[in-house]
Amino acid sequence: MIKVENVVKTFQGRGQIVRAVDDVSLEISKGEVVVIIGPSGSGKSTCLRCMNGLESFESGSICIDGLNLADRRTDINRVRREVGMVFQQFNLFPHKTVLENLCLAQQVVHGRKRSEAQQKARALLNKVGLAFKEDEYPSRLSGGQQQRVAIARALAMNPKVMLFDEPTSALDPEMVGEVLDVMKQLAAEGMTMVVVTHEMGFAREVADRVLFMDQGKIVEEGTPEHFFTNPQEDRTKLFLNQVL
Amino acid sequence: MQSQKALWPWKLLLAAIILMMAAGIWGATKQIDYTWRWQRVPQYFIYQSETLQPIPFDGRVHKIVEADKSALLTLESDTGETLEISVDTKTLEVSEGDELFEGDYLGSISEWRFGPLLQGLGVTLWISFFSGIIGMALGLVIGLCRISSNYCVRHLAILYVELIRGTPLLVQIFIFYFFLGTVFDLNRHVAGIGALAIFSGAYVAEIIRAGIQSVPRGQMEAARSLGMTVPQAMKNIILPQAIKRTLPPLAGQFISLIKDSSLVSVIAITDLTKGGREVITSTFATFEVWFTVAAMYLILTSLLSQIIFWMERRFAVSD
Repeated sequence: MIKVENVVKTFQGRGQIVRAVDDVSLEISKGEVVVIIGPSGSGKSTCLRCMNGLESFESGSICIDGLNLADRRTDINRVRREVGMVFQQFNLFPHKTVLENLCLAQQVVHGRKRSEAQQKARALLNKVGLAFKEDEYPSRLSGGQQQRVAIARALAMNPKVMLFDEPTSALDPEMVGEVLDVMKQLAAEGMTMVVVTHEMGFAREVADRVLFMDQGKIVEEGTPEHFFTNPQEDRTKLFLNQVL
Repeated sequence: MQSQKALWPWKLLLAAIILMMAAGIWGATKQIDYTWRWQRVPQYFIYQSETLQPIPFDGRVHKIVEADKSALLTLESDTGETLEISVDTKTLEVSEGDELFEGDYLGSISEWRFGPLLQGLGVTLWISFFSGIIGMALGLVIGLCRISSNYCVRHLAILYVELIRGTPLLVQIFIFYFFLGTVFDLNRHVAGIGALAIFSGAYVAEIIRAGIQSVPRGQMEAARSLGMTVPQAMKNIILPQAIKRTLPPLAGQFISLIKDSSLVSVIAITDLTKGGREVITSTFATFEVWFTVAAMYLILTSLLSQIIFWMERRFAVSD
């Protein structure tokens, strides 16, 4: 489904070149839930953003469902239609109501009819438990509700893959649960998911595979059991000791 | 600490200061021995004009039907043609059966006409309106070019903005009228509107650019991640938010535009300012007319800021 090969992404920062993603290769198959963990600045978000073309990369290749992102002829918007993205800061459109947030891209990108888009939107709002908020503006919702709307908005495009960039990091602790519940439900339905998160509980419970990244490299990779009971690398042990 | 401070001493002070300023102005005019003649001003807003009605041929008055206000005259020429003309009853100068020569007056018609001040106001209004619309469109395009990733397009936009913001509007109007107007054979109104539009376009462009850049990056990323193209995202997501944020500075810009439009009077467009000058030449009521003109601009600009204020409140529903 997703095949990342030797991707390198560098940033120019204060005279020195930072290798944010350093020769990363990974493969994710259909229906798999992969959780990427690691300290801040380890390149996990950047790596995720490379997967739907929000960041460009210097070398290597990323194939999503057969479409090569590194190829200049690939229509990036076609890739993005297949890949849903959920952001740390929700990024809902503040000037649109919840329902319009879900309908807009369906109408503009997929050319769906208004009634059709609304039907789809209402079904998804129901699924995330926010059907009663459809006429509210995002600013009137709590953080957890906003994030659930954002997940529904991404799902409205019928993506084959969902990318989550620290979806619970900007939330009050008591709202984390409601968002994770929606994500667990999605995983149970067989959605292919790549999740960058600090929620170790989620990683342990839902992930098929956990990747640990540090300084742009994948340090260790394995099942949650392997990870949380018997990590091999020293760097991983150190990190897990600090967060658990 | 007291939570509610008394307001009335300050209100009193404010009133006293305003009264003192008014008294100062009054005293100053006394000093220079100026006679205020406000009664001369209203006729330059609206006046009644009398038009004399002559008979267009040699003939006679066949019939007069007098009504309350106007009288209908049926005229018959020597060659047998008939013609109906109506004049005000009070001014009727002929009676039935009179023989008349071509050009003899039958009476006159009076009607209300706009004076130079209201006509000038109209000119100011439509010049500001059109240059505002064109300036807004121009500013939008240039503002988008200004943040384009294309080097050439971006620098062309910067060049335009710097060129226009760095030269006085008065000079631009002269160049537009005397140089471009001569080269492209433009009439004065086109030149005036063009100069104002290009001038305000440069400022609007900077406002729009700032507005777009003030929308968080995440908005564009979210739109793009949903598969929208850049133009789609601009149109549906970024610009609506940017315009909402830029309404107050845009309002300021359009208010400036209305005021700056007074400069087109230098290329002999009879706007409110030039209308005022013409009235002064016939009344010598210099002070009164300039105060009146200022008040008319003030009414126009405060109406505009009220409209913008109303729009801001409408857009604020999503906050």
